[in-house]
Amino acid sequence: MYTCGVDVGSVSTEAVILCRDNKDSNAKGRIVSYVIIPTGASSKDAALKAFEEACMKASVSKEDVYSIVATGYGRINIPFANKNITEISCHARGVLNYFSGIKTVIDIGGQDSKVIKLDGFGSPVDFLMNDKCAAGTGRFLEVMARALEIKLEHFGEIFTKTNEKVDISSTCTVFAESEVVSLIGQGIDKNKIIRGLVYSIVNKVISMVERIGLEEPVCMTGGVAKNLAVVKALEEKLGVKINIPEEPEITGALGAAYLAK
Amino acid sequence: MGFAENIRETLKIKIQKNLNRDYIEKILGIVGSWPVLPVYGMTFASKSDKYLNIATIKNIKKAYCQKYPVAYGSLFLPYELLHSLDLVPFLPEVMAGFTAGIGIADKTLKEASARWYTPDLCTFHRSASGAVELNLFPLPQFLICSSLACDAAQKTFYIDAKKYNIEDNFYLIDVPYNKTADSIKYLASQLEDISTNISKKMGKQVDMDKFKNTIRLSNEFRYWALKVNDIRKELLIYPKNFNGLSFILPFHGLAGTKDAVVVYKNIYFELKDFLEKQKGSSGNKKSGSNIKIKQDIGKTKRILWLHLKPYYKNNIFEILENNNCRVVFEEISQVYWPELDGEKPFESLALKMLSHPLNGSVENRMAAILEMVRSYRIDGVILFAHWGCRHSNGSARIIKDTLRNNNVSTLILDGDCLDKNNSSEGQILTRIQGFMEIINSEQS
Ligand SMILES: Nc1ncnc2c1ncn2[C@@H]1O[C@H](COP(=O)(O)OP(=O)(O)O)[C@@H](O)[C@H]1O
Ligand code: SF4
Ligand SMILES: [Mg+2]
Repeated sequence: MYTCGVDVGSVSTEAVILCRDNKDSNAKGRIVSYVIIPTGASSKDAALKAFEEACMKASVSKEDVYSIVATGYGRINIPFANKNITEISCHARGVLNYFSGIKTVIDIGGQDSKVIKLDGFGSPVDFLMNDKCAAGTGRFLEVMARALEIKLEHFGEIFTKTNEKVDISSTCTVFAESEVVSLIGQGIDKNKIIRGLVYSIVNKVISMVERIGLEEPVCMTGGVAKNLAVVKALEEKLGVKINIPEEPEITGALGAAYLAK
Repeated sequence: MGFAENIRETLKIKIQKNLNRDYIEKILGIVGSWPVLPVYGMTFASKSDKYLNIATIKNIKKAYCQKYPVAYGSLFLPYELLHSLDLVPFLPEVMAGFTAGIGIADKTLKEASARWYTPDLCTFHRSASGAVELNLFPLPQFLICSSLACDAAQKTFYIDAKKYNIEDNFYLIDVPYNKTADSIKYLASQLEDISTNISKKMGKQVDMDKFKNTIRLSNEFRYWALKVNDIRKELLIYPKNFNGLSFILPFHGLAGTKDAVVVYKNIYFELKDFLEKQKGSSGNKKSGSNIKIKQDIGKTKRILWLHLKPYYKNNIFEILENNNCRVVFEEISQVYWPELDGEKPFESLALKMLSHPLNGSVENRMAAILEMVRSYRIDGVILFAHWGCRHSNGSARIIKDTLRNNNVSTLILDGDCLDKNNSSEGQILTRIQGFMEIINSEQS
C-alpha cells in the first residue's frame, strides 16, 4: 500500500513514494523512493515525470499507489493527483517524519520563503510568506552564485573562511547582481561578498520569524536548507539550533505523501 | 459564460474601447432607461444583486446626466445630508471599484502615475484621480469630504476641485477623534454650516422637512439592515454570487434614500427564504427545497471579512466556498450607529459619524471586531490588507494579537483591491488555502 506526494516547486519538482501499513496520516510510514527533478517549463509534465520516476525507482507500479497529493506552487491542475494541499500543511507534516515536537519551520525554496508555526504535532497554526519578489529566496542565491562563478554547494565552507562581510545594499535581485559584479570588479574578496549575500537573505527571513514569534525546536526545510552558509547564519542570528532533515528539499513532497489518504 | 454575463461583458468591452465621459453617459442612458433597466436587473442571479445593481445604475446615471447638481463625496460622509440638499452624490472611491470591475483600472492608474500620484497612495484614490484626469467622471458642482478614518480624500478631492475650477465649493468636514458631547456639537455645527452654505450657493434655503424625510428613510434602511444582519447570524447558504462586500452604496451614497430601503428589504426577504430552506434541509434531507445544498452545513467554517475585497475578476470567494468556508459577515456591514432623530438631524448625523468604529482609537475597531466574532460565532478572520490603506493595515498587528488571545485565527491577506498587478494570484491562493487548512484542522 503506497501513497505519493508530489511537490511542484518553481525550481524543482520532488516526488516521494511512501509505504503505508496504516492509512492514518499520523502513523509512521517508510520512504521507498524519492526523486528531485528540475520543474522546467511545464509543471504538469514535471509532476508526471517525477511521479513515474519515483515509482520506477521504487519498483512500484502506478496502480499500487492508492492516493496522490500534489503540493507546491504548481499543485493546482495536476490531473493525476487526488487532492492538492498547500506547502504550509505539507511541510508541517513532513518534518514530523524526522523530528518530534517541532514548533517553527523555516522553508526557503526557489521563489518563496515561509515561516510556519506548528502546534508541535505536525499541524500548522499560523504562517507567513514573503511577498511577490525573489529577494530572500533560493533563486536570488542562484543568480549570485552564477555572478560569482562559485557553486552554491560551496557556500557553506566559504562562509566559515572569513568573519568579514561587505554589505549588499540592493534587495532587488537584478540590482544586487550588478552590485556583486561591481564588487568583484573592485577586487573585493569573494568570500566577503558571499557572507554579505547570505546575511541579506537571512535578515529578511529573520524579520518574518520575529513577526510570527520564534519557538523552539526549529526546523529548516526546502532546497536552501542545503545551503549550510544560510543555516549557520540563521543559527547565529537567531541564537538557536536549527534541525535539518536528511534531505530537506523533499519535506513538502513527503508531507504530501503522508497527508494522502 | 451565460447569456446574462455575455451582455455585461459586452458592455464592459464597449466602455473599454470608448473611454470617455459622453460614451459612459450614453451607455448609462440606455441601460438606465425604462424598460431596459428592469431587464438588466434580471441578468443577476439573485434578487439582492438585482436590486443593488438597479439602484446603482439609476443613481450613477443621475450623476452623469447633468440635470441635477452633483457633489463628489468621500466614503464616510453622512449622505442623508446630501440627499436632503437635493445633491446627487457621486462617490469617486466607490467608482474606483467600478474601474477595476469593468477592467479599465490599468488605464486610470497609469494616468494617475503619469500625473505624479505616488504609488504608495491607495489605488481607490489613484484610480479615481486617474479617472478625473481622463475626464471619465461627471462634472461636480461641489466636493465634500471628511477626515473620518481616511486622509486621502482631503488631498485628492482638492486636486479635483482645482481641476474643475471650483475650489470655493470644496468642503472638508473635520471629524473629532473622540465621541463626547462637545465633539457632537462641534461636528453638528459644521454639518449645519455646510448645509446653509451650499443651499445659499444653490439659491435656496435649507428645507428641514426634506431632512426629516431622508432621516426617516435612513432609519427605515437601518431597520432592514439590522434584520438582515440578524438572519446572517444563522445563515450559511446564500444566493448564488451573493457577496456582502458588494453592498457599499446602500450604506453610504444611498443612505437616506428609498433605493437603499428597497435593496435591503429585498435582501431580507431573499435571505429569510434561504434561512428557512437551510433549516428545512438540516431537519429533513428530502424537504421540498428548490435550493441545492452542496455544502456540509455542519462543517462550514464561519469567516469574518475585514476591510474590502478585490473588485477585479477573481475567485477568492469560490475558493473559500469550495473549502467549506463561508464569509458570514463583513466589517462594512455593521450597523454601528443609533437610530437618527428627525428633529435633530445635524446632531444625529454627527453622532452617526462619531460612532463609526474606524473613528478614533483602534480600540473602537477592535471592540467592534470582537463583538462580531462573538455574535457570528466566527472561526477565522481575514483582513484584506489593501495596499496603501494606512488606517486599516495599521491595526493589523493589534487585530491579530487580540484575536489570537481569543483563540481565533487571523489571516492578514496582502493584496490590492483594484490593481491586480500589485497582488500575485498564486500567493493569494496559497495564503487562503493554507489558512483554510489551519481552521479546518483546528476543531477536528
Ligand atoms: N545542494 C544545494 N546547495 C545549496 N543550495 C541548494 C542546493 N540544492 C538546492 N539549493 C537551493 O534550493 C533552491 C530550490 O529549493 P526548492 O525547495 O526545491 O524550491 P522550489 O520548491 O521552488 O522548487 C535553489 O534555488 C537553490 O538555491
Ligand atoms: S482603502 Fe483605505 S486608504 Fe483607500 S480609500 Fe479606503 S480608507 Fe482610504
Ligand atoms: Mg522544489
